[in-house]
Formats: sequence, C-alpha cells, structure tokens
Amino acid sequence: MTASEKAAVVEEPADQRGAGKEVEVTIDYLPATAAFQHEYPRTETLATVRTDAMVFFGVRDRQERDKYEYFLEFDGTRITNTSQTLGELVGPHKKKAEFHLVEQITPGSISK
Amino acid sequence: MSDAARRATLDGVRPAGREARESGAFWLGVREDIARVTVVVLPKGRGVEESIGQWRVSPEVFGEISRWAKPRGLTLLGIAHTHVRGIPPRLSWSDRHRSVCVPGILSVVIGNGGEDNDHYTWGWYVYDGDDYREILRPELTQRVRDNSTDPVEVLHADSERVWRLTS
Repeated sequence: MTASEKAAVVEEPADQRGAGKEVEVTIDYLPATAAFQHEYPRTETLATVRTDAMVFFGVRDRQERDKYEYFLEFDGTRITNTSQTLGELVGPHKKKAEFHLVEQITPGSISK
Repeated sequence: MSDAARRATLDGVRPAGREARESGAFWLGVREDIARVTVVVLPKGRGVEESIGQWRVSPEVFGEISRWAKPRGLTLLGIAHTHVRGIPPRLSWSDRHRSVCVPGILSVVIGNGGEDNDHYTWGWYVYDGDDYREILRPELTQRVRDNSTDPVEVLHADSERVWRLTS
C-alpha cells in the first residue's frame, strides 16, 4: 500500500472532520478485571450502552426475592434516564466517556 | 493475604462488632494466579449501614471505590464482613444473594464481631458457577496463603469519597 492510498483510507469526509461523531466509551465494574470498551455514535442511547456493558460483564437485571438492577455512573452521578443519548450526556466535543457499573439490590420481603 | 491486611480488616470491623453491629471490608488487589490483597477498604459513614442484622454498602460507595481503584489497576478480590457474637460465621441467605455475585470473588465471614483472629475459623466462600461455595480447610490451606511481608494500604470510603487511613 502506498502512502497516498493510506491517506485515502484514513481521511475523514469533510463534513465529519472534527465533528466528533463517535464517543469512545469505557465502563469499569469493580469486581471485573477488564473494562468494557466500545465506540458508539453520539446518538446511541445510554440504555444500549448499559445493556452492552451488562452482557460484557455477565450480569443482568432480575427480579427474584430481591430486585437486582445495574446502573451506570458518570462523574459520580447515577444515570436513571437511559433514554438520554451519549451526545446529550457528554456534550458535543468530548470523545471519551468513562462510566462505572454499579449494582442496586432492593430487598424483597424475606430477610435473614 | 498479608498479616497486615488481616489486621487492618479486623481493626476496621471490631468497633462495630463491639456494639453488636455487623461491619465489613473490601479487599482489593490485582487478580492473577496468586492475587495479593494490597488494599483494604473500610466503608464507613454515608451509604453504609452497619446494624445488628446486616452490613449494607450502597451502590454509590461501590462507585466511589471503583473510581479510586480502577485507574490503579485494582479489582475487588473479596468482601469480608462480620457476624455478631452467637451467629455462626457462615453465609446467610442474604449474604449469598445480596452481595456481589461474580465468578472468583471471595466472600468471607468473620465471627464474633471480628474478634476471631484466626482466619481458619472464618467462613471462606468463593463464587463458583451460580452460587457461593464454601472453601473447606484443605482447599483453604492451598488457596489462601498468609504472607506476612506484604504491605497493605488501608482506606475509608463512603458515598462521596475514598480517603487514606494509614500509609
């Protein structure tokens, strides 16, 4: 491959240059050894991001005796509005977003 | 696990134990073939409930610890908590189900409100498959090594911050 061909491959279209169309997402989960990393369009909802991360970490929301739910945290704040898009959360310029996945267990009627 | 980590855990949980309340500690380190507990985090205050029947740590405290630990390459290796005097150091139903359920993670129960020094008297469990499995003495001897030379960092954490207790 020649240098000119390489340039043709990596060059962004003029209408996207610097527009920050993608957000590199990193999600950590305290008991996990590896972080979830994926690049999303700014239009992606946080619901999708959360679901993808849960699949990666092998966890899921569930209702047994207790209710188990997983939330994303961003800048120390729990995200409850998952219909929000990544772009709405991080703004138009940020290209990276770091989240933490945390678990909420709401006890049911039976306790020890 | 170093003697320092064991002592830090016991020192951290005993004040609540002496008031007949449960308490606990998070053990952090790098998960590898031989994983060393290099940090003991003692959740206290906001987002932490230490009561007679249970020790609960809010998701926000987990988040704070995660924010502190992950940039340092640390992972939650295990959670130790106490049972008050008269309650056997065995996982209860809620201990099994209202805790972190991730393969390989340790759950340790210290009896007598943390007054039991000998870690062989503690209840040791590992999450294996879809439930916690007790680690019995022969396996415990193999898997849990007392390395008295490793230093440990001791931290407090609540729902707003993590801070160093000693260095």
